[in-house]
Amino acid sequence: MGDQIMPAKDYAPIDQNWLEDAGNLWTTPWVDKPSERVIVDPIILSHAASLFRKNAGYFYQNPDEAIRMVCHACELYDVTPVGHYLYADYWGQDYGAEIKIQTNSPPGITKRPIKTAEDVDNFEVLDVDELTKGPTLTTHYKALDTCKEEFPHMFAPITQLGGTMEVATNWAAIEDVFMWMITEPELVDKLCVKAGDHMVNACKATSERYGANVMITGSVIASGDLMDTEQIKRFSFQPVSRAVRKVLNSGAGPGVYYHLCGNHTDDFQMWKNAPMSPFTIVQIGYDGQNIFPTSKLVEHFGDRCTCFGTVDTKLVDRGTPAQVYEQAKEQVLAGKDSPRGFILGTACECPTNAPPVNVHALVKAAKDHGKYEKF
Amino acid sequence: MDIKITEELDNTLKDNGFKKEEIQELIANAEASGTKLKARDGDIAIAKGVSDNLTVYAVYSPTELLDVYAHKMNIIGLTGGELNDIDYDDASEWACAKCGEIALERNVDMTYMGVTRPGPGLVCPKCDEFYVSDGVAKTLKTAESILEEKRA
Repeated sequence: MGDQIMPAKDYAPIDQNWLEDAGNLWTTPWVDKPSERVIVDPIILSHAASLFRKNAGYFYQNPDEAIRMVCHACELYDVTPVGHYLYADYWGQDYGAEIKIQTNSPPGITKRPIKTAEDVDNFEVLDVDELTKGPTLTTHYKALDTCKEEFPHMFAPITQLGGTMEVATNWAAIEDVFMWMITEPELVDKLCVKAGDHMVNACKATSERYGANVMITGSVIASGDLMDTEQIKRFSFQPVSRAVRKVLNSGAGPGVYYHLCGNHTDDFQMWKNAPMSPFTIVQIGYDGQNIFPTSKLVEHFGDRCTCFGTVDTKLVDRGTPAQVYEQAKEQVLAGKDSPRGFILGTACECPTNAPPVNVHALVKAAKDHGKYEKF
Repeated sequence: MDIKITEELDNTLKDNGFKKEEIQELIANAEASGTKLKARDGDIAIAKGVSDNLTVYAVYSPTELLDVYAHKMNIIGLTGGELNDIDYDDASEWACAKCGEIALERNVDMTYMGVTRPGPGLVCPKCDEFYVSDGVAKTLKTAESILEEKRA
């Protein structure tokens, strides 16, 4: 069964009553429509494959099946009914990078197109049409089209961007970019401007195809573990903000998801003023070595946008169900009545081989302790 | 001020339920009061008219109406309540015609169907006037449709 294709007919039908209920829970954080409790989004990607005895390599090579597996995993766990397909190393291939499919982890770039400072100067961002026909969006849209056709109520027109540093380090080796940050910071400025322009075009492509766009952006490599606050401001916050502004000014919204993965103790405050649309969500992974407290997230962002409280991904991967439940309980109690909506989830993607009982414990905490009091 | 409206734009106005006279009045009011945005580079202006359920914008040159757009979400003020310093260049391509200040690109709170959320606005830091660009109006239209569907 490991490598055998599972076409659509091999899946049991999605329970429409569940879908309606989950859809109502999912709607609440965005439009304040009352429902019973907080929804959970464990950011299920290749973890779904493990539920079907497939591996990450299989998941990413078969985007249509990946979406089916994710949608059915959403039903199994009773979580956010949205079909996701994406991975971190997007956008390299479109510019000549080589990508390696890996059995137990997402695809990784092996050869990047930018190797020298001259390459940065000569690098040209692809236009909307070129990106639409490129390998990243061809695969991505295969997944989204499958979702739209087979699971229309679980469809969201998501564009996976990362921030400017994430795009930049998919074009040039991270060690080169970090060296240039010290020796030739203006070169990294140029690279980040180009990454921002690329992000705008990618969002326009999705918006043109589906009539709306939800961009996943933020700051992952640009976190306090790898960069200082001034570097994060210069190479991530500022160019990302400019890009998001351009996207919204071009009508290619309305969804903005700021995924601030890693440690953001020293820079999270600046993101309070990042450009926001009516459907903006902010998720912050860690405060130093600890999970970012939802109480702090709500204190700083709760009167601005929807907050995404997190449970430590390491705990979901290697902890006990009781540990996951306790942390999820603490986070959901602190966030559930956040003024502009709250979602409980994981700090980053649900690990591929996370024990299903741990994901269940996360959801159980929301069911037991996430009942709204504000409505 | 005698503003020319092309036949094409006139048809667009009709298709979108705008009356030519209302747009002309909106521009006349902006010209009289000075409450409008002026392009920092050029002679294009944006006038706005706010009613209970619609904010209408007219983009015009000294001689011609160039564009009209609108949103239903009602801007109620700055997100976070105050105009704090921020860490990126927020100067827009527009300036307030009344006070001359450069309009800033800032998040503003918008409310519609009982829901208040942020959106990207153009803000005069002195006059407390808020505008949105035509592109943002498109984004807001999508947001309004979602709210209408989900809040119904």
